[in-house]
Amino acid sequence: MMEFYKKLENKRIVIMGCGRLGANLADYLYEQGHEVIVVDSDEDAFRKLSASYGGLTFISDATELETFDKLEIDEQTTMIVVTDSDNTNILISQVAREVYHVKTIICRLYDPQRECVYDEFHIDTICPTYLSVHRIEDILKERGA
Amino acid sequence: MKKNVLLVGGLHKAMSLAQSLLNKGYAVTVINDNYNDCMTLASIEDLEVIFGDGTKPFVLEEADGENMDIAIALTNKDDDNLVICELCKKKFHVKKTVALVRDPQKTRFFYQMGIDSVVCAINAITGIIEQQAFIDEMTNIISVEDGRVNILELKIGHHMPSVNKKLWEIDLPSEAIIGYILRNDQGIVPRGDTRILAGDTLIVICDQYVQQTVTKELTGR
Repeated sequence: MMEFYKKLENKRIVIMGCGRLGANLADYLYEQGHEVIVVDSDEDAFRKLSASYGGLTFISDATELETFDKLEIDEQTTMIVVTDSDNTNILISQVAREVYHVKTIICRLYDPQRECVYDEFHIDTICPTYLSVHRIEDILKERGA
Repeated sequence: MKKNVLLVGGLHKAMSLAQSLLNKGYAVTVINDNYNDCMTLASIEDLEVIFGDGTKPFVLEEADGENMDIAIALTNKDDDNLVICELCKKKFHVKKTVALVRDPQKTRFFYQMGIDSVVCAINAITGIIEQQAFIDEMTNIISVEDGRVNILELKIGHHMPSVNKKLWEIDLPSEAIIGYILRNDQGIVPRGDTRILAGDTLIVICDQYVQQTVTKELTGR
């Protein structure tokens, strides 16, 4: 599988963590025609991928530097970090930025208070709490509340 | 003013460290996210114990993170330790942060992230084991700077190549220096014309790469 992966020349999208968000994103991006690889340490996690998913999966611990090397991550890689632990996401994103100089990193953070550790790294973060708040606010406005 | 030390995570490590720091006169606070562990920790007198997840900013705030002089992250997870130290450093401006790291490969990365001191338990333990296993060849090795620099203690016997030589006559690599000579319980700070005698104990400071050469040059092994 890795041989095949290494042959991909287009921009690779690496998704760290195959939870609900990771799996849905992988399905979606694959359908859009991107080269996608999903990484998770638990093989069972890949069951969440839809049957039509034709991208790659890779069983490995994303916090290990070895995983980064095997995936041949470089500046051009697009990385989406969506494991279920904020701290793990922070570690992976910072390794990607500081050690492998990845330019595009998108990371999910449940706890917005932890965002301060990112400030100087310019990593894009997505916080489900904020998104929900904004969305609910919008709906309320639409309804004229 | 007592210095304030914050320990996050770890039960046995936190306990023995807290005890030793309290004995030395520090004010110690521990944070632990296991209630039973907290109860155990609370048995230590004068120790402030906070039950909570130390990777959350509000827990660190409760522990008075702003006024800590040193923060030490002792959890079993590298990512938690990284976040604890980064929060302490960036949000609470703790002067010194220390992190335990399990994966030796990440030591450099942790330093890169601005953590003041990174302790890799695996490296430290293998280092000690190695030292114990080869105790005959070298009396003692102390590693500093994550093993890049070693301080060796070498006992000089009668048959060794360096005996009765002056220091400038010995061909030591430039990354090594003989810093001190112990002779009959007396210490000598050596100079180029100091002669090495049998029975001397040499304290040598050297780069890890030349350690073999240095040992061979001085002791012949």
